[in-house]
Amino acid sequence: MIVSLMQVSATTFGQNVTLKENRISLEKVFNEITRQTGYNVFLSSDQVKLSTTINVDFKDLALTKAIEKVLAGLPLSYSLEQKTIVIKEKEKSLMDRIIGVFANIDVSGKVVDENGQPIAGANIRVKGSSQATTSDSEGNFILRAVEENAVLEISYLGYQLKEIKASKNIGNIKMELAVGKLEEVSVNAGYYSVKERELTGSIARIGSKDIENQPVTNVFATMYGRMPGVNITQASGAPGGNFQIRIRGQNSLRDDGNDPLYIVDGVPFSSQTIGANQTAGFAPGTTSPLNSINPSDISSIEILKDADATAIYGSRGANGVVLITTKRGKVGKTAFNIGASTSFSKITTFTDRMNTVQYLAMRAQGYANDNITPYPTSAYDINGTWDKNRYTNWQKELIGGTAKVNNFQGAVSGGSEKTQFMLGTNYRTETTVLPGDFRYDKGGVNFNIKHGTDADNFNMVLSANYNVQRNDQPTTDLTEISRNLAPNAPALYDGNGGLNWDNGTWENPLAKLQQEFIGKVNTLVAGSVLSYRISPVLSLKANMGYTDIRNVETKVSPYTIYNPSYGLTSASSSIYLNNTTRYSWTIEPQLTWKSKIGQGNFEGLVGTSFLHQESDRLVQFGSGFSSNSLIYNLASATTRSVNVSDKTVYKYQAIFARLNYNLKGTYIFNITGRRDGSSRFGPNKRFAEFGALGAAWVFSNEAFLKDNGILSFGKIRGSYGITGNDQIGDYQYYNTYASTGVSYENSVGIQPTRLFNPNFGWESNTKLELAMEAGFFKDKVFATAAWYNNRSSNQLVGIPLPGTTGFTSLTANLAATVRNTGLEFTIRTVNINKKNFQWETSFNISANRNRLIAFPGLESSTYANTYKIGKPLDIRNLYQYAGVNPANGVYRFIDFNNDNQITSLEDRKFVADLTPRFFGGLENQLKFKDFSLNFLFQFVKQKNTFFPAGIPGSAINQPTYLLNVWQRAGDNSEYQKFSSGANNETLTAFYRYADSNGALTDASFIRLKNISISYDFPPIIRGTARLRLYFKGQNLFTFTPFKNGDPELRFGSFLPPLRVGSFGVQVQF
Amino acid sequence: MKNIKTIFFLVLLSITLGCDKFVEVDLPNSLLTSQQVFDNPQTVRAALANVYTKLRTEGVLSGSLSGGGSSLGLYADELINYSLAGTPSDGIYNNVLIASNPTVLNFWNSAYNHIYCANSVLEGINSSNNLTESEKNMFKGEALFVRGLVHFYLLNIFGDVPYVSTTDFEVNKRISRSSVSNLYQLIIADLVTAERLLMPTYLSSERTIPNKAVATALLARVYLYDQKWSEAAASATAIINNPNFTFNQDLNLTFLKESATTIWQFKPQLANSNALEGTYIFTSAPPPSVSLRNELFNAFEPGDKRRDQWVKAVQGSSAVYYHAYKYKQNVSTTPSKEYSVVFRLAEQYLIRAEARAKLGDLTGALQDINKIRGLAGLNNSQASTISAVLDAILQERRVEFFTEFGHRFFDLKRTGKISSLSTVKPGWDINDVLWPIPETELLTNPLLKPQNPGY
Repeated sequence: MIVSLMQVSATTFGQNVTLKENRISLEKVFNEITRQTGYNVFLSSDQVKLSTTINVDFKDLALTKAIEKVLAGLPLSYSLEQKTIVIKEKEKSLMDRIIGVFANIDVSGKVVDENGQPIAGANIRVKGSSQATTSDSEGNFILRAVEENAVLEISYLGYQLKEIKASKNIGNIKMELAVGKLEEVSVNAGYYSVKERELTGSIARIGSKDIENQPVTNVFATMYGRMPGVNITQASGAPGGNFQIRIRGQNSLRDDGNDPLYIVDGVPFSSQTIGANQTAGFAPGTTSPLNSINPSDISSIEILKDADATAIYGSRGANGVVLITTKRGKVGKTAFNIGASTSFSKITTFTDRMNTVQYLAMRAQGYANDNITPYPTSAYDINGTWDKNRYTNWQKELIGGTAKVNNFQGAVSGGSEKTQFMLGTNYRTETTVLPGDFRYDKGGVNFNIKHGTDADNFNMVLSANYNVQRNDQPTTDLTEISRNLAPNAPALYDGNGGLNWDNGTWENPLAKLQQEFIGKVNTLVAGSVLSYRISPVLSLKANMGYTDIRNVETKVSPYTIYNPSYGLTSASSSIYLNNTTRYSWTIEPQLTWKSKIGQGNFEGLVGTSFLHQESDRLVQFGSGFSSNSLIYNLASATTRSVNVSDKTVYKYQAIFARLNYNLKGTYIFNITGRRDGSSRFGPNKRFAEFGALGAAWVFSNEAFLKDNGILSFGKIRGSYGITGNDQIGDYQYYNTYASTGVSYENSVGIQPTRLFNPNFGWESNTKLELAMEAGFFKDKVFATAAWYNNRSSNQLVGIPLPGTTGFTSLTANLAATVRNTGLEFTIRTVNINKKNFQWETSFNISANRNRLIAFPGLESSTYANTYKIGKPLDIRNLYQYAGVNPANGVYRFIDFNNDNQITSLEDRKFVADLTPRFFGGLENQLKFKDFSLNFLFQFVKQKNTFFPAGIPGSAINQPTYLLNVWQRAGDNSEYQKFSSGANNETLTAFYRYADSNGALTDASFIRLKNISISYDFPPIIRGTARLRLYFKGQNLFTFTPFKNGDPELRFGSFLPPLRVGSFGVQVQF
Repeated sequence: MKNIKTIFFLVLLSITLGCDKFVEVDLPNSLLTSQQVFDNPQTVRAALANVYTKLRTEGVLSGSLSGGGSSLGLYADELINYSLAGTPSDGIYNNVLIASNPTVLNFWNSAYNHIYCANSVLEGINSSNNLTESEKNMFKGEALFVRGLVHFYLLNIFGDVPYVSTTDFEVNKRISRSSVSNLYQLIIADLVTAERLLMPTYLSSERTIPNKAVATALLARVYLYDQKWSEAAASATAIINNPNFTFNQDLNLTFLKESATTIWQFKPQLANSNALEGTYIFTSAPPPSVSLRNELFNAFEPGDKRRDQWVKAVQGSSAVYYHAYKYKQNVSTTPSKEYSVVFRLAEQYLIRAEARAKLGDLTGALQDINKIRGLAGLNNSQASTISAVLDAILQERRVEFFTEFGHRFFDLKRTGKISSLSTVKPGWDINDVLWPIPETELLTNPLLKPQNPGY
C-alpha cells in the first residue's frame, strides 16, 4: 500500500522540490523532479535501477540537496550539467571495496537428482570467476563471499548444466538428466582428455554402466556389439580362453601383428603371451596377460581408431589403442558398495548328430560303397565289438554340463575435495561345463588415491591393481571328440567306477582330462600421475607406471591318460613347468600449456616416453616318477631337462607433442606427432616419425543454425596421419642361433632361429577419416557417420615360403599396399523421457572392406596363389563345385584348364571372401520407475567354410543333414556317397569339396548378446542403504543359418561360447 | 614464460636425442650370433647335435609312430592300422594319400629343414677363421653326410625332388626338381666327400655321431639303389671287413645300445629314455595303434629266431595280435638300454649279396645270405638261379628289416615288385609308388609342377 501526499508549487518551475511519499520508485522521483524543476535526469549507468524504492520527504528543498537525499545509501553520484542531472555510479574508494567484500554473501544449497536424492561431487562454480566447490556426500555445498547478484553454474556428469542466481540459502537445487549426453562426456584420449563435443578424432567409448550389465570375466567380452568398427571374436568358451580383437579390419598380413596397444591407467600393458606351448591348456593359444583385468574394476574403455587419436602413440598405434581406466574414488561421504552374484552357464549350441541307427547305416553303406567285406578288425563300432544298440549323446555327456560362477566384490570409496580414495576387492570362482572338477579362480584388490594441495597446483594420483588367478583346466578340448565319437561307443565307466577302456578298443575321452593344466598368474599394475601447475597456463606432469606379471604353469601327463594296452607305468608320467615373469616400467614426463591466443583457446603438450620391458621364461620338463602322486614334484622325476630358458628385453622411447587450437568451440584443429625408437629394429631402422592432423567444425554453432528447433548439434570432422606397428617380436634383426634345450651326446643343440633377413623396418599405416555427427531435437536423436580409408604399406609379414627353403615363412617387409576402407554408423534415440519411464535405443553398424591395392612382383612371389590385386586378404582360392555326379555319386568340380584332371594349382579359381560383410549391435535401455531393462542384440553378416572332421562314412559321427546322400545311380543328391575312407576317388573328392565353394555356408548370426533386468528398492529411510537385485544374461538366443556349431567360432571345433544366466544383488550404503 | 617453455623443450629434446642408446639391447643369454657359433668347435658341435636330434624326432628317420618305420610300414604290407577311419595314418594305411595329408607335409618340410641346418653348418664353417682344418673336415663331413642321407629318403618317397645345397631362400624358393638319376649323382658326390673327410674312429663310443664307416654304409645302400653293383659291393665289403662291427649270437642283443652290429644309432633325448621304437609295443589286445600284418608274421620260415625274438604275440579275446619286439623297452629305464639303430651290419651283408648276385657272383651272394640266415637259426638258402637268389634276398630283407625306416617299401619299389602290394592292399594303385608333393608346396613354388601322377 502506498500512502502519498504531494504538494506542488503550482506557479513556475523553481529550483526547489517538494515531495513526500513512502516506497516510491526512483523513476517516479526523477519524473517528479523533472516536472517540478525542468531539469532532465540522465542515467549514465545501467547500474541505476529505476525500480529501486525509497522514502522521500522534501519540503521545498533545494534541488541539489534533494538529489543528495535521494541518492544517499545508493552506490550512485550525480553532476549537474546545464539543465541536466547526470546520475552515475559512485567510484569506489578502497575502503568501499573492502567493505564490499564483507557485503558479499555466503551461498549454501543442496544438489539433488531428479528423484530428490543428494548428488555428491557435483561441481558448483560462480559464473565468470574461478570460484568453485563440489557438493559433499549429502549434496550440500557452501560457497563463501559470493557477490549477491552472481550466478552459479551447477554441473554433474550425465545431468544438464543448471544456472541459478546466488542467494544466501538456495535450498534444494534439482538437477535434470541430460537428454543428449554429449555435452558433458569427457573422453580420455590417452595423454589428454577432451570433451566429446570438441573431439577431432575417432574414439569409441563404453562406460562402467555398459560393463556392469554383463556377466563376463573377460574385458574383451564387454565390448561385443557396442563399439562401431571393433570386431571381437572369442576363440573358445574355455575359462581363461583368448579373444581376438580387430579394430577396423586386418591391417597386417601377420595374424599376430594385429593387436592394438593396451594402456591400463596410463601404463602400457603388453598383450604378448606369458604362456608356453608346452604348458598350454585346452583353450586355443597360450595364456594372455589381459585375463588379469577385472571388468568390474573398469570405469571406462576407450578405443582410439583414427590417425588423429592414435598418431600420438606412433609406432604402436597402427592397430588402434585400447585405453582402460579403472574406477576412482569420488568426493563425498564414504560409500560402501558390495555385490554378489551367481551365474549358471551352458554352451550355446549342440550340433546336430546322427543317432546309433543312422550312424551304423552310414557306416555300413560306406563299407559297401568301398566294396570292403568283411569289416576290418579295427572297425569296432560296426564289426560287433561294440554294442550296436548302445546310444550316448556324447555332446551332452562330455560338454553338456553347467558351469557355475560365484562372484563377490566390494569397494569403499569417498573423500574430501582435496583427497579421494577407493579401495576395492573382488573374488570370482568359475567351474566348467566339462565333467570333472575344474576351476578358474580369480581374485584381486585395487586401490587408488588422489590428492591435491589446497592451492590446487599440485596433484597426485596413485593407483595399484593386484590380481591373482588360478586356472585349473584339462588340456584337451572335448568338443570335437564329443561330436565325432561314434554314438555306440562304450560306456565311460566300468562297473567299479573306474575308466572303461573296453579292452583298449577306444580312447576313453575322460582319460584325457587327467592331462591337466594349472596356471597361476599374479599381476601387479601400478601407476602414478604427478602434476604441478607452474603457472595458470603451464603445467608439468609425469606418468609413471610399473607392471609385474608372474606366471607359473604346469601341465602334467600321467601315464593313465594313455591306453592301458601300451602297458605303461608311472615311469612314463611327465610334467612340464613354465615359469614366466615379465616386468616393465615406463616414465612419461610431459609439459602442457593452455592459453588464449586471439579469440581461441590454445592447448599444447610435449612429452617423452621411456619403456623398458623384460621377460624371463623357464620351461622345464620332468619324467619318470615312482608314483603319479609325486608328479607335481619335479625333484621326484628321474629325468629332468630344461627346454627353454630365455630372457627378452624390449626398450622403447619416444618424444611426442600435441597442438590444439579451439576457436569458440566451433573450429578445432589438432596436430599430433611422435618420434619413436624401438629395440625391435636393426640399428639403421630404429627411429621413425609419425603424425596426424585433425580438424572439426561444429557447424551448429554458426549463426545461421543457432537456435533452430531441429538441429541441436552438428559437427564435421576429419583427420589424416601416419601410424606404425612394431609388433614383430624381439631380436628379429639378428642372425641368431638359439638353444633347443635338447641335448645330444653331451651337447645341447642350437639351431638357426629363423631365416635371416637384416633388412626390415617399420611398417606404416596411413589413415584418413571423415565423419559427421548430428544431434536433433535437443540431441534426443543423435547420429554419427564415419568413413575411413587406411592404407598399410611396407608390411612386416611372415612371407610363406616353400618348405624347400628349410622354413615355412620369412619375416620381411612386403612391398604390398593393403587398403582398409569402411563405414561406421551409429544412432542413439531417446524415445521416451518421462519422470517414471525412460527408453533409449542405440544402434551401430560397421562395414569394412579390405583390398590388396598393389603388390609389385606378386606373380613371381610365393603369394601368387594366395592373393590377388583388388581382392581382400582373407580370400580363399577354392575349387568350383559342380554338384554330385548322379552316375557314381562323387563330387564334381569345374576343370578350368580342361586338362581332364582337377589340380590345386590350375583349378582353384573360385575366389571366396570370408571377411565379415558388416557387424554391429542394437541396444535398448528402458527404465520404469525402479525397474531397468537393458538388452543388446549383436549381429554379424559373414560366410564361413565348414570343416568336416572326416569323410562321412568313416568312423566319425556326422550331422544328420548328410542323410540326404547319394545312394544309387541316378540319384540327384546334395552330398556324395558315404565312404569308409579307403577309396581314393571319394576321399580326394571329399577333401576338394571341403576346399570348394560347395562347403561355403552362411555363418551370419543375430544374437541376444546381453540382457540385464534390475530392480532398485526405494530407500526405506532417506540416505540409508540402497539395494538392487538383478538378472543378467549373456548369449541367450542366437538366430543363425549356420549348422556346424556356434557361428562366432570361425575356426575348428572348439568349445562354443557359453550361455550365461546370472543372479545378483548389489548393496550401497 | 616463453623462455621457460623454450628451455624445457630444449631439455626434453636433448634428453631424447641423447638417449638414442636407450633402445639398444644386447643379445639375450639364450641366443648366439651366427658368427659366434662358427668360431667355436663346441658350438658347431651343438649345431650338429641339433641336426641329429631333429633327425631322431621329426620326419622319416623318427622311430615314433609318425616316423618312416611306422608310416611306410602301414603304406606297404607290414602293419595294420587301428586308428580311426579317416585319420591321416588311416589314409596312409589305405593308400589313399592326398596332397594335403599332414604326414606328407611333415616328411617334406622336416627333411628340408634338416637340409637347411646341414647347409648352414657347411656355410658357417666355410666362413669361419677359428676352426682347425681337422675340425672343419669333421664337421663338413657330418653335414654332407646328413645332406646326402635326407635327400636319399626324399627321392625314394617323392621321386624327383629339388636338391638343396644352399641356405639362400631366394634360390630355394624358386628351385625346381632334379631327376632321380641326377639326384643320385649329387647324393653320391656328397657322400664320397663325407667319407673322405670323416675320421674312421667314432667321436662317441656309443656310435651316435656319424664317422667314415657310417658314410660308407650309406654309400653302399645308395650304390645299390642306383644299381652301381660293384661300388655297392665294395662299400659293403669295407664295412663287413671293419673289425668294429661284429654280430651277436643272441638276437635279443641286436638293438641294445652296446650292440657291435650297430653302425650308427640315435641317442634318446633324456638320460633314461629308450628308443622311440618302443611305441610299437602293446601289452593287451586289441592293439591301440598298429600291429604286424599276419602276412608278415607268416613270411617267417619256421624256426626263424627273428620271429621268436623280434616279434611278440599278444592274445586278444578272439584273436592273436603281433607287434615288433626288436626294441623291448617302452618306458624309461635307469640307465637307458636301447637307442634307435639307423644302420647295422646285417644290411651290409644283404647289400653285398644283392650286388654280387647282380654281378653274377651267386656263390658270394649265397654266402652273405646264409650268414644272415645262420644267425637267425635257419638253414642255408636253396636258391640257385639269379632270380631265385634275388627273391631270397628280398625275402631275407623283409624279415630282417621289418618296421625299420621303410626298407620293405623301398625294396619292393626298386626291385619292381611293388605291384604285388595290390594283392594285400585293396587301395593300391600304381601311382601310389610316389607320394604326392605337398599341396602348399606347389602353391608357393609353381616351379615344382607337375604334381606326381595320380594326385
